[in-house]
Order: sequence, then structure tokens, then C-alpha cells
Amino acid sequence: MHDVIVFRFLWAAAIIAAGIILFNLANRWILSRAGRQPVLAGLARAGIPTLLYFTTPTCAPCKTIQRPAIDRLKELAGDRLQVVEIDAASQPEIARQWGVLSVPTTFILDAQGHPRHVNHGVTPVDKLLKEFEEFGDFSI
Amino acid sequence: MNATLKNIDHSALQVSQIAIVVLNVLAFILNLPWLAGIVAVVMVLGTLLGVPGFGFIYRYGLKQLGWMRAHVLLDNPEPHRFAQGFGSVFMLAGTAALYLGAPGLGWALVWLVAALAALNAFAGFCVGCFVYYWLARLRVPGFTKNPPEDTFPGMRPTTSPAPGRK
Repeated sequence: MHDVIVFRFLWAAAIIAAGIILFNLANRWILSRAGRQPVLAGLARAGIPTLLYFTTPTCAPCKTIQRPAIDRLKELAGDRLQVVEIDAASQPEIARQWGVLSVPTTFILDAQGHPRHVNHGVTPVDKLLKEFEEFGDFSI
Repeated sequence: MNATLKNIDHSALQVSQIAIVVLNVLAFILNLPWLAGIVAVVMVLGTLLGVPGFGFIYRYGLKQLGWMRAHVLLDNPEPHRFAQGFGSVFMLAGTAALYLGAPGLGWALVWLVAALAALNAFAGFCVGCFVYYWLARLRVPGFTKNPPEDTFPGMRPTTSPAPGRK
């Protein structure tokens, strides 16, 4: 009986792990698809990591949580990164090209403009900093 | 702004979805078809009453204890009801398969419902709502609502009601 439960538990763990891997693969696919979009030309300066922030005027959590987190990130990192904000409502084509389905969505781009992370939903400042730290010195 | 949108507490939806995931996984691990049956019945009752099946855990437990706060968003209740009804049909079919000697099919359906509930709870994408909005787009009778403004069909909306709006 005990062995059966352990066996089924391992199966459950494997299925959940497969789901998480699938979710991460989907995120990677979104990143690789986004990386092929030349839409940042003219919006971002070259040579600096970028936070690409998709929002809309009616998005409540963008105003109350995500915006303060990004302001805090800018305070902490100063000139070491730039923030490019895109209104997904007025520029739906760009949002579509980047695979944005909801706001807030944030993309972390390295200094060469390659997307390295995507965050769906509100993302705290600590997580954003950690993602930037992977390819530069953002120690505070 | 879509005038037919209502105030929907997404915390209640999320708790209900997490309860479905946890109970379905427990039912599988402990090999308890009756537990899957209970989940199915609660989802059916929730659909008939127009509330999230396991929303009572939030309403009378987590919210009362102050462990969770309301997350009210302007949304259509119909797609969520449809999604829950859709899930409950799969759960009923899964439970029936378990009792009729087809455990592979039964557990596959139970896992499918758990996976879709997890996708909704953790990634904010409601597959049943997506199906509802597509049926509305195809002008299928009974499916009349459109997704909230600026929201991809099935994704969790982001607009909160204006203060004082009921």
C-alpha cells in the first residue's frame, strides 16, 4: 500500500515537473520570438540593458504596484539600465509582435538588445534586479 | 468601457482553482476516486449557483482570517461559469471512467482539469473562458459576452472598478 502511494507520488511529481518544464519552454519560445523583432529601434539606446515594460492606461496593478517597483529599480540602478514603456492599448501591433497577452508584462533585454527574461504579471523589484544581475553588475 | 462588466473577486476564483489542483493531485496520489467525485460535485454545484465551487474556502476561511484580500476586477462572470461547467463535465466523466474500470482515461481527465486550473491560478489564463469568447466570436447562441477592453480572450483582466462602483 505504502509503495503504491510512493509510486503514485513520484508519478504526480513527474507530471508537475513536466508541466513546469513546458511552461518554461513556452516562455523561452516567447523570448526567442521576441528576439527577432526589430521594434526597439529608435526607442532604446544601444549598449545598455533595457527593461521593456508593457502596460495600459486602465491597468490598476501597473499603477499601484508595477510602476512603483520600476521607479525603485531606476533609483537603485541609475544609468546602468534604461526603461522603455509601451502602451499596449495604443500600440497593439508591438504588443502582438512581442507576444504580450496581458499587462503588466516586462522583458529584460541585455546590452545587445537580446531578450533574456519575460515576466507575466506584476514583478517585484528584487526579482527584476536579480534578472539584470545575470549579465551585468547591478549590485546595490 | 464595456457596461456589462461586473465586479469579480479573482481571489475567490484563484482559491477555488488551487483547491481543485490540490484535491485532484491528492485523489491521484492516494488513489481516491471518490475524492475526484467530490470535486466534480462541488464544481457542478458552483456552476449551478454561479459561484466558484471552492470559493467558500476563501469567503468563510482565508478572507475572514485576513490571510487573503479581495482582488476585485471588472470582468464577465459568464465565461468563468462556463469554464467551471466545462471542467465539471470533464471531472464527472473522469470519475465515471474511474468507477467503470478505465483508470487511465479517468486519471488523465482528472489531471487535465488540474492542469487547466493550475494554468488559470498561476498564469492567469482561463482556457474555458477562451473557448467561451471564441464561441461568442462565432456567434454561437448563448455566448454573447466579449472580453474586457485591452484583454486577450481568456487572460485575467487588469482593470479594477472605480471607487464606489457596484
